[in-house]
Amino acid sequence: MPDVKDGALTGYRILDFADSKGAFCTKVLADIGAEVIKIEPPGGDPGRNAPPFLNYTPHPEKSLYFIYRNTGKLGITLNIESEQGKEIFHQLLKTADVLVDNSHPDYLPKMGFDYTNLKEINPQLIVDSITEFGQTGPYRDYKGSNLVDFALSGTMITSGYPGKVPCMMPGSPAYDAASIHASMSIVAALYMRATTGEGQFIDTSVHETARMGLYPWIIPNYHYAVNPNMPPPTPEVRMGAAIYPVYPCKDGFIRVIALTPRQWDALVRVLGNPDVLQMPEWRDFMYRIGNAEDLYHLMFEYTQKYTMVELFEAGSREGVPIAPILKMSDFYNSPHTRARQFFTEVSHPVAGKAYYPGPPYKWTETPARIGRPAPCLGEHNEQIYCGELGFSKGELADLKKARVL
Amino acid sequence: MLPLENVKVISFGTGGVGPDFGKVMGEFGADVIKIESKDNLDFMRTIGADINNIAGFNESNRNKRSLGVSLKTEKGRQIVRKLVKITDIIMENYRGGVMADLGFDYESVRRINPSIIYLSSQGFGIGGPYSNYQAYGPMISGASGMLSLWAQPDDPYPVGSNSPIPDHMASKYLVMAAIAALDYRRRTGKGQFINMAQTEVAAGMVGEYFLDYTMNGHSPVPMGNRSSQFAPHGCYRCLGNDNWCTITVLTEEEWQSFCKAIGSPAWTADSKFSDMTGRLQNVDELDRFVEEWTSTREPQKVMDILQAAGVPAGVVQRATDSINDPQLQHMGAIVELDHPVAGKRLYPGIVFHLSGTSEFKSTPAPLLGQHTEEICRQVLGMSDKEIRELEAEGVLHVPSIS
Repeated sequence: MPDVKDGALTGYRILDFADSKGAFCTKVLADIGAEVIKIEPPGGDPGRNAPPFLNYTPHPEKSLYFIYRNTGKLGITLNIESEQGKEIFHQLLKTADVLVDNSHPDYLPKMGFDYTNLKEINPQLIVDSITEFGQTGPYRDYKGSNLVDFALSGTMITSGYPGKVPCMMPGSPAYDAASIHASMSIVAALYMRATTGEGQFIDTSVHETARMGLYPWIIPNYHYAVNPNMPPPTPEVRMGAAIYPVYPCKDGFIRVIALTPRQWDALVRVLGNPDVLQMPEWRDFMYRIGNAEDLYHLMFEYTQKYTMVELFEAGSREGVPIAPILKMSDFYNSPHTRARQFFTEVSHPVAGKAYYPGPPYKWTETPARIGRPAPCLGEHNEQIYCGELGFSKGELADLKKARVL
Repeated sequence: MLPLENVKVISFGTGGVGPDFGKVMGEFGADVIKIESKDNLDFMRTIGADINNIAGFNESNRNKRSLGVSLKTEKGRQIVRKLVKITDIIMENYRGGVMADLGFDYESVRRINPSIIYLSSQGFGIGGPYSNYQAYGPMISGASGMLSLWAQPDDPYPVGSNSPIPDHMASKYLVMAAIAALDYRRRTGKGQFINMAQTEVAAGMVGEYFLDYTMNGHSPVPMGNRSSQFAPHGCYRCLGNDNWCTITVLTEEEWQSFCKAIGSPAWTADSKFSDMTGRLQNVDELDRFVEEWTSTREPQKVMDILQAAGVPAGVVQRATDSINDPQLQHMGAIVELDHPVAGKRLYPGIVFHLSGTSEFKSTPAPLLGQHTEEICRQVLGMSDKEIRELEAEGVLHVPSIS
């Protein structure tokens, strides 16, 4: 047995009653040692139907979305709408430090588990309810989705080409932003509990937190530009490639972050000091934004002579940030990604062995890591129900037949 | 009480990630001191005419005190070392190598404060050929693979957004890490060093597409606003200039409600749209029909009609929409703060709602060196005379307005 060190949160138990929208919250807590038990209805989390799939064949254990966002967790099934299910849930709650829920604000109360009941069952329990719009307010019953929440976050109006339709960001950015806000709140509440001895209820709204995790500057940027004696500022628009221009190169595209005159000078050096780029006006950032189209035509003749990585490395030498626009394969194979061992081998009982993106940081004392693959549906029923709650295997089979598990 | 009362944080940050980390730690109740000086300005102070009147800076640097001290002088470093000895957490996001040159890297710091929790966040992270590369958010989205998918299928190349994503996700990750590390230290007495790569934060946000590559051997292509699972699923033009509303119909029940809500026009009865498979197959035509309906209505109207019918829909909000958003107003998600130079301005409010804490606070961003005197006097026990002398020598910076 290799010596596996504890994570920072080893010893805490989290019940993950969230579907795929809140999956990221408990995944990042599992990465740093928390024991996470994912509770799914007997039919499974709807996230199991989310594409892409292994070999592009829909299958409940082969959703790449699901198996990525649920690593590190144990998995059990439980129907809390049944009487026996409620009793079992009650027992589980007593063993837990945290409950993460992302159903509608009325759902758990209707099942008999409003916060007052939960607190009675376990006064130390921390409950985080991640909802689309919050526990109260005019939009409380509105529905959200990945795309809808991103649109409302204020970031989408800045995404994509001017004149074209605003563009969705890949992945599930609004849910990830809400999830990370829930994770922060949970560890803060755990830390505080050491002093107070009490749990608390946390209301996390996707609508509120997506803005903070993606682009909080949008409101002050707008409001600082409002001048009482002047016409209102231009509304935010999609800048496309005007601020951070994109240029083609030998094997793909680069994005250039030249903000200061010094960075512009460095860029000109990277491209071999072509005469056409020596006009002093080009040193001015605002001039470049205003003449982005013309500049593009001057630039791409030179950028095309090099590869993405050549320009990226030359930019660093000369002092101008140049980003290669990497494809998934490029990032995976990058020498830096490899040196940091970011991708981790994970062996899933159905989907097989593969390299997964790991946690985005290294901890010296309590390593962050993917401790186990995402659970198959009900994979740990026996471990939890028989091993911990004292059910026999026969009882387990009966509960399954009765659709309690 | 607040969760991080009595926790002391030193922030050496610049740009987005470092300052936003300190801002949130401050909201949770920590005492956050920002180390800065005229000869080492946070670059966000330099993108406008007045270092104390920049929107992005004044948003991300709320809830902290500014100690104006030059790290280029030995006396300045001496002062910071005194502060480091009595602090719990250090966070920095300078280019790799900068903190070591200043003598404030983890190895140096833990000699004077062994239980320190030290967080570093660089664009590419320490350990590898790009450790010391300078990076900004818009660069990181490109260098992580994320940007390659942030486009419409017919775009000539991806442009993503001009927002600095993933800066504000990286900072939140670090807040979570810092508090977890504090909790571990509470139980064991041990501090540690946490070293983040922002590219890895961005890559982690599109993890399923990396699995598409590592498991299916396929490099995914951008899908824009469409989904391979649901239709309608898009962003539709509405009445007015550059006005849009997103609509996603995720279930059969929502499809029925959607058809009814838009007045059941004849095309909705066409058998080719009768199930999800058909709608996905005929998505171009479907989207044209949907847009026929949205394009004669204002985006808020589209959202309200559809949400009332139980269909997920949301306006592509601008800042003004957010400021007037009734739900955000209800949650207190927009606040006005009075900054000594910028005056009364709107900022995003506190998004943490924890039943067992007192109300989280937000204070305006500090002027450069605004708290130099109070920190030197109260925390470091320096005399007024000493402070004046160090100010004259250019070691300390005290602003003329305060």
